[in-house]
Amino acid sequence: MLELTLQALFSGLLAGGYYATVAVGLALVFGTMRVINLAHGELVLLAAYVAYAAETNYGINPVMAIPVALVIVGAASALVYALLSRIHQDREINSLILTFGLGIILTNAILSIWAADIHSTSNAWFQDSVVVADTLFAMNAEVASFVGGLVLMAGVWWWLNHSWQGRAVRALSSNRAAATLMGVNPRKIEILSFLIAALLATFAGFAIYTGKTVFPALGHVLTVKAFIITVLAGMGSIPGVLIGAVMIGVIESLTVTYLSASLQELAGMILFLVVLFVSPSGLFGGGRALAR
Amino acid sequence: MTRQTRTQKLAHLVTVSALALSVALGVGAAQAKEFLLGSELPLTGSLARVGQGMQEGIAVAIEMANKAHAGKHSFKVETIDDETSPAKAVAAVEKLVGDGVVAITGGYGSNIIGPASEAAQKAGLVYITSGGVAPELTQRGYPTFFRINNTDGYALAMIGLLQEIGAKKVSIVYLNKDATSSLAKQVGQALTAKGVTVGTHEFDGSTSDFKPLINKVKLQDRPDAIAMVGYENDYVGILRAAKVLKPTVKAMVGVWSLATAQMAKEFPDLMENVYGTSMLPYPVEFTQPEAVEFAATYKTLFNKDPDYLGQFGYVQTRLLIDAVLRADEAGTLAKGGLPEELRKTDAKTLIGRVTFDKSGDNPNFTHRMGQHQGGKVVLVWPKDDANGKMNFPAVPW
Repeated sequence: MLELTLQALFSGLLAGGYYATVAVGLALVFGTMRVINLAHGELVLLAAYVAYAAETNYGINPVMAIPVALVIVGAASALVYALLSRIHQDREINSLILTFGLGIILTNAILSIWAADIHSTSNAWFQDSVVVADTLFAMNAEVASFVGGLVLMAGVWWWLNHSWQGRAVRALSSNRAAATLMGVNPRKIEILSFLIAALLATFAGFAIYTGKTVFPALGHVLTVKAFIITVLAGMGSIPGVLIGAVMIGVIESLTVTYLSASLQELAGMILFLVVLFVSPSGLFGGGRALAR
Repeated sequence: MTRQTRTQKLAHLVTVSALALSVALGVGAAQAKEFLLGSELPLTGSLARVGQGMQEGIAVAIEMANKAHAGKHSFKVETIDDETSPAKAVAAVEKLVGDGVVAITGGYGSNIIGPASEAAQKAGLVYITSGGVAPELTQRGYPTFFRINNTDGYALAMIGLLQEIGAKKVSIVYLNKDATSSLAKQVGQALTAKGVTVGTHEFDGSTSDFKPLINKVKLQDRPDAIAMVGYENDYVGILRAAKVLKPTVKAMVGVWSLATAQMAKEFPDLMENVYGTSMLPYPVEFTQPEAVEFAATYKTLFNKDPDYLGQFGYVQTRLLIDAVLRADEAGTLAKGGLPEELRKTDAKTLIGRVTFDKSGDNPNFTHRMGQHQGGKVVLVWPKDDANGKMNFPAVPW
C-alpha cells in the first residue's frame, strides 16, 4: 500500500510539473492583457511537431531543435498578438472567439502538414527509467521536463519581480492606464509577454514530445487543462499555477491508484469546483495576482 | 445494277449502319450510370487517424470499381468530415441524404456511428461500416445497418491467444468507451468462465500517465499477461509505463491499431514482442488476385503499404458496390431494394468470408493475432493462419 501511495504521489508531482509548464504561458498572457489565449495549446503542439520534424527529417536530437521551434512558435505567437491588438471593442469576449478560431486553424494546419498519426521521440534516452530507492519510477523525459519546467517558471517569476520589464508587466496587469502614464509602453510589454509565453509553450511542447505522444487534436485538450489550472490558481498567478497544477496531478494520480483511472478527470474537476466554491478567485487570486 | 441504284443502296447501308450505331450507343449511354456513394468519417479531431485510414480504403474500392466497370458504370464518393462529433455525423448523413447518395460507407467510433446510422435509417438509406463494433449497434435491429466486423471477432482472437499462452491471471486495462468496454467485458467474462483469474481496470481517454495504473496491476494483480483494449495513444502510454515499472508478465496483448506497420515504424523499441489483432502480416504478403490488385492500387494512390484500416474500408465499400450493381440490375435500387441485396452477400474478401444476418452483423468475422518481431508483424494465431513462431514469454523490456 505504501509503495502504491508513494508512486502515486511521485507520478502526481511529475504530472503536475508538466501541467504547470503548459499552463504558465496562458497565465502570463492573461495576467498582462486580460486575454485568455485559447490557441495556447496549439502553440505548444506546434513546438512538439517542430521537434518531431527535426528528429524525423534531419535526425536531430529534439533538444537541439528548441531554437528553431522557438523562432517558429515565437512568430506564431506574435501573429496571435498582432491580431488580438486589433480588437478594440469587447476585448475579452472577442479575443476568446479570435483565439479559438486561430486554434482551429493551427490544428488543421498541423493535420495537413503532418497527418493524423501519433508521434513521439524515438530517442531511447528519454524513455529510459529513473528509479529512486527501488520504489519510485519515472522516465528520464518526465524528470527532465519537471526540472526544466521548474527552472523556467522560477526564471519567469524572478523576471516578473526583479527586472524592469517584469515590473512593467505587473504594472500593466494592475492598472493599464496608470502604467501608461508612468511611461510603460503597453504594446511593447504585451508583445514581450506573448514572446515569453511562446518560450514556455516551446518548452512544454518538447516536454510533451519526449514524454507523451502528440497528435493534431491534442492542442485543444492542452488548452482546456491549462485554463482549468489557471483559474484554479487564481487568474494570472504564476506560483499559483505550479501549486494548482501539482494539486491536480496528485489528486488525479491518487484517484487512479485508489478508485479508478476513469474517474481521474472527475476528481480534478471536483477539486477545481471545491476550490472555487471556497475561494471564488482561485488559490492565489483576489484581483491582479501576477507573480504573487 | 445502275450507278444510281448502287449509290442509293450504299446510302441506305450507311444510313442503316449509322442508325444501328446510334441506337447501340444510345442504349449503351442509357445503361451506363454513375452511382454516388456517401461517406461520413472523422477526418479531423481525435479519431482523424483512423478516419483517414478508412477513407483511403474507400478510395481504393472506388478506383478499382471504376476500372472494373469502365465504360459501363462509374462510382463517385462524396465525403463529409464529422470532426469526431456525433452531432456533426448526423448532420453529415442528412446532407448526404439531401445530395442523393445511394448509400453510406464509413463511420468510426460506436458512439458516433450510433446516431449517424439512426439518421440513415430514418432516411431509408443503407449505412455500412467497419468502424463500430459495439454489440448495441446491431441489437437495434435496423434493416439498413450493416457492418463487416464486430466485438465477437476481436474477443475470440484475444481469448484464443491468451489461452494458447496458458495465462492463468490476466489484467484487462481498457478505455471507457462503448466498443472498448464491451470488448473488455466480453473477454473478461469468457476468461473467467474458463477458470482464468481476471482483474479489470478502466481508464479515461484523457489519461496520459499510466504508471499509477500499471503499478497497481504490478503490485496487486501480479498477472501473467496484460490485455490492453484502447487505441494507439493508449497503447503507447500503457507500454511506456510498463517498460518503466517492469511488471513480471509474460505477454502484453492488445487489439486493433496495435500490430500495424505504423506502430512498428513509429515505436520500434516499445512494440517488440507485443501482440495485437492483425489480418495480415507486415511486410504484407498478398497472394489472391484481388488482394494483389488492392495492394497495388493502394500503393499507386497513397504511395505506401495498405494497413488494416484501409483493408476494412475497402471491403465494406466493395461489398456495397457489388450490392448496388445487383440491385440496379434487378431494378430495385430506386425502390429500396439495396438492404435486401446486401443481405444476400456471401463473399470471400480480404478479411475472410462475409455474410450478413438479420441484424446486419457479419457472423463469420474472426480476427488473427500478430506479434511485433524485429520491426515486422508476424501472424501467430490461429495456427492455421500463422506465418511465423510466437516469441513467448517475451515483453518489450
